[in-house]
Amino acid sequence: MAKLDIPLILIGALASAALLIPALDVGLGKVRNAKFSAYFTMLILAFALLILTIGGLGLVTLDSSVPNLLQNDLLGVFFGFVVILVALLVTVASFDYMKDNPNVSIYYSFLLFTSLGMVVLSFAVDLLMIFVAWELMSLPTFILAGFMKKDKLSNEAAVKYFILGALSSGILLYGMSIIFGLSGSTNLNVVLNALTDLSPNMIPVAGFGAVMLIAGFGLKLSIVPFHMWIPDAYEGAPTTVSALLSAATKKAGFVAAIRVFAVIFPLLRFDLSMSLAIIAIATMTLGNLAALTQKSMTRMLAYSSIAQGGYLLIGLVVLPTSPLGLSGLLYHSLNHALLQATAFIAVAAFRHKTSKTSISSYNGLARVMPITAFSLMISLLGLVGIPPLNGFWSKLVLFTAAADGGFAWLALGGLVNSAISLGYYGIIVKRMYMDEPTEKVSIKESFPFTAVLLIASMIIILTGIFPGPVYEFASRASIQFLSGI
Amino acid sequence: MVDIGFPIISLIIFLPIVGGLLVALVARAGIKVLKIYTLGLALAEILLATVAYAMILANDAGGSYNFVEGPFPWIPAFPGIDYFVGFDGLSAILIFISSFLTVLVLIGSWDLIKERQMLYYSLILIFEGSIMGVFSSLNMIIFYVFWDLVLIPMFFFIGIWGGPRRRYAAIKFFLFTFIGSVFMLLAFILIYLSATPHSFNITEVAGQIPFSLQIIASVLFFIGFGVKLPVFPFHTWLPDAHVEAPAPISVFLAGLLLKMGAYGFIRFNLGLLPEASAQYAWIFISIAIITMFYGAIVALRQTDLKRMIAMTSINHMGFVLLGAFTGGVFGISGAMFMMFNHAVAIGIMFMLSGYLHEISGTRDVTVLKGLKITSPRAATVLVLGSMAAMGLPIFSLFLSEFMVIVGAIQFDPRLAVVVGIPVITVSYFLWMMRRTVMSTPSAETPRRDISRLATFALLIFLVPLVLTLIAPWLVLGMVDPLSQALVNLMGGG
Repeated sequence: MAKLDIPLILIGALASAALLIPALDVGLGKVRNAKFSAYFTMLILAFALLILTIGGLGLVTLDSSVPNLLQNDLLGVFFGFVVILVALLVTVASFDYMKDNPNVSIYYSFLLFTSLGMVVLSFAVDLLMIFVAWELMSLPTFILAGFMKKDKLSNEAAVKYFILGALSSGILLYGMSIIFGLSGSTNLNVVLNALTDLSPNMIPVAGFGAVMLIAGFGLKLSIVPFHMWIPDAYEGAPTTVSALLSAATKKAGFVAAIRVFAVIFPLLRFDLSMSLAIIAIATMTLGNLAALTQKSMTRMLAYSSIAQGGYLLIGLVVLPTSPLGLSGLLYHSLNHALLQATAFIAVAAFRHKTSKTSISSYNGLARVMPITAFSLMISLLGLVGIPPLNGFWSKLVLFTAAADGGFAWLALGGLVNSAISLGYYGIIVKRMYMDEPTEKVSIKESFPFTAVLLIASMIIILTGIFPGPVYEFASRASIQFLSGI
Repeated sequence: MVDIGFPIISLIIFLPIVGGLLVALVARAGIKVLKIYTLGLALAEILLATVAYAMILANDAGGSYNFVEGPFPWIPAFPGIDYFVGFDGLSAILIFISSFLTVLVLIGSWDLIKERQMLYYSLILIFEGSIMGVFSSLNMIIFYVFWDLVLIPMFFFIGIWGGPRRRYAAIKFFLFTFIGSVFMLLAFILIYLSATPHSFNITEVAGQIPFSLQIIASVLFFIGFGVKLPVFPFHTWLPDAHVEAPAPISVFLAGLLLKMGAYGFIRFNLGLLPEASAQYAWIFISIAIITMFYGAIVALRQTDLKRMIAMTSINHMGFVLLGAFTGGVFGISGAMFMMFNHAVAIGIMFMLSGYLHEISGTRDVTVLKGLKITSPRAATVLVLGSMAAMGLPIFSLFLSEFMVIVGAIQFDPRLAVVVGIPVITVSYFLWMMRRTVMSTPSAETPRRDISRLATFALLIFLVPLVLTLIAPWLVLGMVDPLSQALVNLMGGG
């Protein structure tokens, strides 16, 4: 079989495209480049997705030229697939959403830079590499969040996000330096070996380092109590960027957390899973209860995204005790990314046409914008976990993993939370399909939005009816990763 | 075990679902074509269901699973989730009754549903297929998938075509039943993990669930199925949903949806958790009795005809729960027979209430007057339907109530108190008939009657009720072997 160095190819493709696009403003002129950069970004991301699919299907041997920095394994391929898929959906949705912005090429360039950071993060196995990728992923999103520079909310979102992002980077770096001090290396495999015979009086220090790492990652993963910035940032940022933040960068944060914690947890000799379980249940409960009371659609989705982060944490809680934990986490990452991105893109389509975000403005949407309403309904029901949509299967795996790993109460908590979440998701469906529209004007739905929404809904439904292949991908990635540590 | 050489169960499940998805194409040819198309599919379902029913009955195979398909792994990497379906006596009865009610609902909808018909008929077919899936799944996850799939069309039925408070009722219905179902899912997960090898297949986990888990699972199932049945503390969604739903959909709600709860109790509580069910039967029986008295007494003071019938449903479902947990052949067979009879008898009453609302603009018992004179056809059906629903011995509901009461007395003589229930039921039905049928019409009573087609459709409902009174073996022959097996499991004689 041919060898394929996926991270290297993707770094080359994404970085060169990201650098080339703004330069073309000079060559092609701004107006022509606006169109070109959009299509070019789409092509590059589609190419990246193709490469990752080839890797994921096992058609090639995965090989890395810098194995100490970037490990080319199925876990990386899986998360790379998730983030690039979301980036691709966001790009197509941005065709129409960003049409009137004067700096379109910069927007797409930053989109590619973030994607690059997320891809590198998916494969990184060195603490420093993780940090560099973390920054590469975060810095462009600070700018993207504030991309509507004349919009006060967008600016507020960017500033808030930037300050907390910088804080999280600092904390993360602090935790990493402690781990480095204890082990003498930044490579995770070396760290694992060095920490195995750590002297007992150093354990509290290692524990402190782990807590720092949890806090640092936690800000990006939006777990309670580090979730405060999420609703403001998602509401103010352009909605397509919110889709990217909630569906993609969060997932990239999870892959880094998985790689680091899988190494550090077993060595701590005290059990962090109970604390993580409490954080998980607090995150989902708080996210869901807060979402129930929201009046703005983007804020509601932001809280729902926080809650979904809690479900994902279940996978991390039972990572050491149940083989299903990691595969459930991976599987739900993909499904949640798809569902959340679809929901945000549908909201973006609506906001773009009406510039409204309040929940009450969704009344009767099914008659005004049928495709947008249908996709939003599918993605919301998928987020609840109604079968036969893909969200049901991944939640099933996660809750089974929780019960299997000795956390039956966490499974119960997750299930009850799913039921609570129907409270706010169901209301939206009711508003769109059963309430009377406030204005009886029909809105023309633009082509890029309808195309991306219909394709995403189809994927949600089809991978719900035939969940086998996707779950198998997640399961293979998780088995390969767990056998490696 | 009976087999037929082609996948009859999959056909029964997926014919209407696929047919429902294709409605958009058929609708281009016009609404008339659409109505004939849906009716044709529903008749095909009756045919298939009857064939399956007759073959099981002829071979006396109600106690085992027939026409089994599977297990075929659904997610190969996650062992235990299989596509696995089969019919035993109880499934076959419910499948038959579902296909039978669907035809009548379709005929009723022709007059009563005027808006967004394409979506409506599409959802009817998807609903029919999903409910067939619920009653034939032998894998807990497939069961759960169909169970939740039933909710979606029902949510839209109530929310789009319902009465003035339809949106509230739809959300309430959706939330209640979904919350119930997540507890059921947790029980499934725990049972899955306790079995070696891990499996969601009912046939594989049966008999290897430890007693401690049986108790936990009983509680979880009780919430899941109790909401659907519904039992006393969880019933509040039902009056709202029934009153707001359009009449044909009320027939589905009472006839089929409530049966899902009863089916769950018999299939899972009795079949999978027999020791816990036998040991704690008195808890379930107490709740059943509270539910029955509550339903009957609340029905006494309803003036809305539909609400009264909805309360009668609660009362009848209490009978089913009571019979199931008596742990004797009489009780369990009586419960299953009751499910059959209740679906038909209450179906008539709900559909009729819809027609009455259509011709007179009201369902208020105090306003509807002199039907005997103004609407003789409606009055006839109302009297016959009431006689069926209150358990008069010319219809088979009587027989099933009798069986349950005998079963209850066998369990504990003090349970003889339940003979009071039919008395209350009869009294409010008589009171209702005196006011609506045997009174003089007032000035504002409209002088219209229901159509001949509607009368005919409603009277067809009565046929199975008379038939199974004359020949009860048609049903009991299906369920007796199953009840005997359940009684043996529960350790009774």
